Amino acid sequence: MSTRAGQASYRDRTQEFLKVVENCKKSSSTVDGPSSSTAPYLEGPKSAASIQSEFSRRASQIGLGIHQTSQKLSKLAKLAKRTSVFDDPTIEIQELTSVIKKDITALNSAVVDLQLLCSLQNESGNLSRDTTNHSTTVVDNLKNRLMSTTKEFKEVLTMRTENLKVHESRRQLFSSSASKEAANPFLRQRPLVSKGSNESSAPPAPWENGSTSSSPLFPRRKSNGDPSSTQPLIPQQQQQQQQQEMVPLQDSYMQSRAEALQSVESTIHELSNIFTQLATMVSQQGELAIRIDENMDDTLANVEGAQGQLLKYLNSISSNRWLMIKIFFVLMFFLMIFLFFVA
Amino acid sequence: MRVTALVILNSAASSSSSPEAADPVVLANATDVSRFGYFQRFAAREFILFVARTVANRTPAGQRQSVQHEEYKVHSYNRHDLCALAFMDDHYPVRSAFALLNQILDEYQKAFGESWRGVKVDATQPWPYLTEALTKFQDPAEVDKLFKIQRDLDETKIILHKTIENLLDRGVKLDDLVEKSSDLSAASQMFYKQAKKTNQCCTML
Repeated sequence: MSTRAGQASYRDRTQEFLKVVENCKKSSSTVDGPSSSTAPYLEGPKSAASIQSEFSRRASQIGLGIHQTSQKLSKLAKLAKRTSVFDDPTIEIQELTSVIKKDITALNSAVVDLQLLCSLQNESGNLSRDTTNHSTTVVDNLKNRLMSTTKEFKEVLTMRTENLKVHESRRQLFSSSASKEAANPFLRQRPLVSKGSNESSAPPAPWENGSTSSSPLFPRRKSNGDPSSTQPLIPQQQQQQQQQEMVPLQDSYMQSRAEALQSVESTIHELSNIFTQLATMVSQQGELAIRIDENMDDTLANVEGAQGQLLKYLNSISSNRWLMIKIFFVLMFFLMIFLFFVA
Repeated sequence: MRVTALVILNSAASSSSSPEAADPVVLANATDVSRFGYFQRFAAREFILFVARTVANRTPAGQRQSVQHEEYKVHSYNRHDLCALAFMDDHYPVRSAFALLNQILDEYQKAFGESWRGVKVDATQPWPYLTEALTKFQDPAEVDKLFKIQRDLDETKIILHKTIENLLDRGVKLDDLVEKSSDLSAASQMFYKQAKKTNQCCTML
């Protein structure tokens, strides 16, 4: 047939097409039974097409889900932002949070299924490179969008917890008696509530690496702990108040003993410092004393030497005969000169 | 820093039963009411007992409590329904007060064992240990070893500071002496040189 239409600038393969369509109809009508060798081949493209349509249907569903979830998330963000101390739409926020979480988990599982389907399709059928590329690209795109949605969700939750913290601190500023109870029940409630919310918050995003998955768990758990803990907080406050008045007194007794011990220890440290300083100064001054001693020894030696010299001088003065003779000669000399001049 | 009274009560009956049940029963009592005038002493003693009963009634088991009442601080310690109270002024350190209560309770249990649990009427004989404890422990250092150690250490620190000042003075004086001795040695050296010069130079006059 191709040769027949060879002269024309185009190739008319309509007949081939009609035949293929007939064959497809035949093979689709025969559900069971050993099909001919062509049937699996024809079923290949047919099932590929069906798989492809299945794939695209699912992908479109997931895309729609992601879009709806992100809309709900923006609503949640608005609610969390405008929350004030007294007019807290806690219930709505909680509902919305749980709904969004469910949606995200469902979307997550759907995307995982889609990915499985895509990989199955890629390794089973002999599809063109473009189709495989297209399907992988679609799957990646959906994954990315879901990841960004989850990240936004996480941010909204952290913002919510920060707002709650700000409210707590403002509440503490204005009501000082609630301060003690706020700390303890906060810590006491968290392990109770975290157990309940553990299962629901376990698989938020399995493809995210460990660091980011632990942080959405933590603020999520904390945010679930906060709104639920503030309501049962109030009836428990009176019970805990009495206990905590006693407990701080016991604690303060023990604490004062501990403080006294610590002050004793620090005093002993200071004393040891003072003693070492004392020892240093004494050793320095010992050196000074040695210098003084040397100076005095020098002085003594000098003075003794000088005394010896003077004694020698005295001796030489007092007992030198030759000196006497010299003096006599000098006297005679002067006498001579005197007599010379006068006579 | 004065201790005005020490009271030991049995507060078993008052903890969980009906409110009109027995008040805590006084087991031992030592008061120092010498500050008041002669005619007020009896009233003061009654007042102290009444406040002691009230506070012991309100102290739960195993707890320590401090209540301010007019110018007295009342410290109470309830240990297994045996409650010890101390009336003292504000300057007495709280920790030493509780250490004192601990000691009194130990002594009481050593002296009387568990026989106090059955006592339903206020005991009238004075317990000599309590009266001498009242006089001995007017000074918190006696009862609280930590307090005593701290005080001794502070005194030692003061003494050491004085020592260091003396040492600094000594240092200044030693510096002075060094200067003077070096001057002296220079002068003696000049003296020696002069003597040598006069001896050697002109033997001929």
